[in-house]
Amino acid sequence: MITDMFGSFAPMMPMVIMIIGALVMPALYFITKSRRLLPAASLVVIAASAIMTFLMLEAGYTGTYGSLFTFDAFSGLMLLLFQTVVFLAVLISGSSIETTRMHVGAYYSLLLGATTGMMFVATASDLIAIFVGVEVVSISSYALVAMKRNDPRAAEAAVKYVIIGGLSTALTVYGISLLYGVTGSTNLMDIGAALATAQFSWAFVIAMITMIAGYGFKIAAVPFHMWAPDVYEGAATPVSLFLATGSKKMGLVVFFKIFLILFVVAQTAFATAEIQYVFAIIAAITMTVGNVVAITQTNIKRMLAYSSIAQAGYIMIVLAVMNEYALTGGLFHMFTHVFMKGGAFIVVAALINVGLGERISDYKGLAKRAPLIAFAMMLFLFSLAGIPPLAGFTSKFVLFSAAIYDPATGVMSQWVWLAFIAILNSAISLYYYTKVVKTMYIDKPKDDAEKIQIPKTFMAAMVLCLVFVIVLGVYPQLILDLCANAAAAFF
Amino acid sequence: MIPIEFFLIFGGILFAIGAYGVLTKTNAIVILMCIELMLNAANINFVAFAAYNGDVLGQTFVMMTIVVAAAEVAVGIAILLNAYKSKKTTDVDELTTMRW
Repeated sequence: MITDMFGSFAPMMPMVIMIIGALVMPALYFITKSRRLLPAASLVVIAASAIMTFLMLEAGYTGTYGSLFTFDAFSGLMLLLFQTVVFLAVLISGSSIETTRMHVGAYYSLLLGATTGMMFVATASDLIAIFVGVEVVSISSYALVAMKRNDPRAAEAAVKYVIIGGLSTALTVYGISLLYGVTGSTNLMDIGAALATAQFSWAFVIAMITMIAGYGFKIAAVPFHMWAPDVYEGAATPVSLFLATGSKKMGLVVFFKIFLILFVVAQTAFATAEIQYVFAIIAAITMTVGNVVAITQTNIKRMLAYSSIAQAGYIMIVLAVMNEYALTGGLFHMFTHVFMKGGAFIVVAALINVGLGERISDYKGLAKRAPLIAFAMMLFLFSLAGIPPLAGFTSKFVLFSAAIYDPATGVMSQWVWLAFIAILNSAISLYYYTKVVKTMYIDKPKDDAEKIQIPKTFMAAMVLCLVFVIVLGVYPQLILDLCANAAAAFF
Repeated sequence: MIPIEFFLIFGGILFAIGAYGVLTKTNAIVILMCIELMLNAANINFVAFAAYNGDVLGQTFVMMTIVVAAAEVAVGIAILLNAYKSKKTTDVDELTTMRW
């Protein structure tokens, strides 16, 4: 067994590989001065970490490091998710023109470092580890957004991001301090056990409010979403991909860890029903605002940003329903979201690379100029809207059905109205996705338009996403079984 | 011994002043300073609770918070400098190229 080689460090090995990669990258650039070597080296590091995680997951390994980190089926699956995200981001960064003026050593170091932070969060079992992991991701992403130096929009986006991020940090730390005061511990299980016998206190209420607000900024839940469209528009597109698919999933994992463990696993006696209602209302508002505002957008990156806010709203159904089946659906939707939203951002990045703009009207007649790219974009967008037989339909089906009915008990759930709002929202989202498809397929291209050739790495990343979007739609068991195992390990 | 409520009220006032500053000030550097105030309010809570609970966990957390706050300000000031180069201002009300 591979984990025997590392003794007590075994649960940390995927992270250790990633940290070594992050530290080696700047030195590698300093020695070789090769801009082409670094993406390849980063891909090797990510692959090594992912293989390590996969072997540990296959062997059913569980272990803890200190009382801070736990490796089990849930955290293993989340590690694979973050590794997939950073793999796609690095794959398209190498040949993207948006990264050419950046310091490549720092860029890849920050990408791998941010991924390490996400992996810390995924394996954390203590608020200290969650806090430090989230901050590692946040501070790296501020720098990643600001690194696109030739664009004043990036400078503006980075200022907004750093201020909103700082505010969110301050809110969460204040909440954690009060929670520590009420329970005398920062370990999630111990906090849950202490709360089971605790009386109502205002300190606990304030702690919950500040923590929901603070981590709400990280997943861009309405009303804490204002920064997301600006940041995704201003950042280089590979970084937007990384933030929209990776950083947001990390926020959701934090929500699962803190609120599901406190209110379900550790059997807190009070406030569970109230918290469920709070999350149901936030989820409903988030998906509605995200989808409605997306309709009016003319910039494709901003439209994808608002659609990604709406997707976070769908996944927040898990926090309202709070059972194992819902978590299975939530995890599965997180995976399919990586491939469909990641694929859409890859197409946008590839088209920016060949000189096409970010406006939706720039995509006129794309189907004639680049049939395969337009076809892929259409499938990604339809998958986001939830058209069968694509991956987005399958995952939304599992997620929404969890809000209607619990297969473990066979009882109709009280959250049917939430599923109804979610399905209504899917219909709204179809409108603005179809507008893009219409622009690509029906509108005439400009007269001087030529065929489009995109670099091979973009093509590889796009085809990879396309394959997963189709395969997960017709054969969901590939990942759904892993998600079910993870949800079972969680509860 | 001073009752713990005193520390909590002090921390709460500090937090409220910081939050008020973040919401009303327009100079980005002043906003970063206000965020520091909010973080320090949490630190006071941690140290007070650690002293009254008689364990060191809260103090450990304060170390983490201080490190994170330092890193955040370092990156934040660099980003503000970068924005100042292209916009010639640190006033957040004038950073409005992107809206809605």
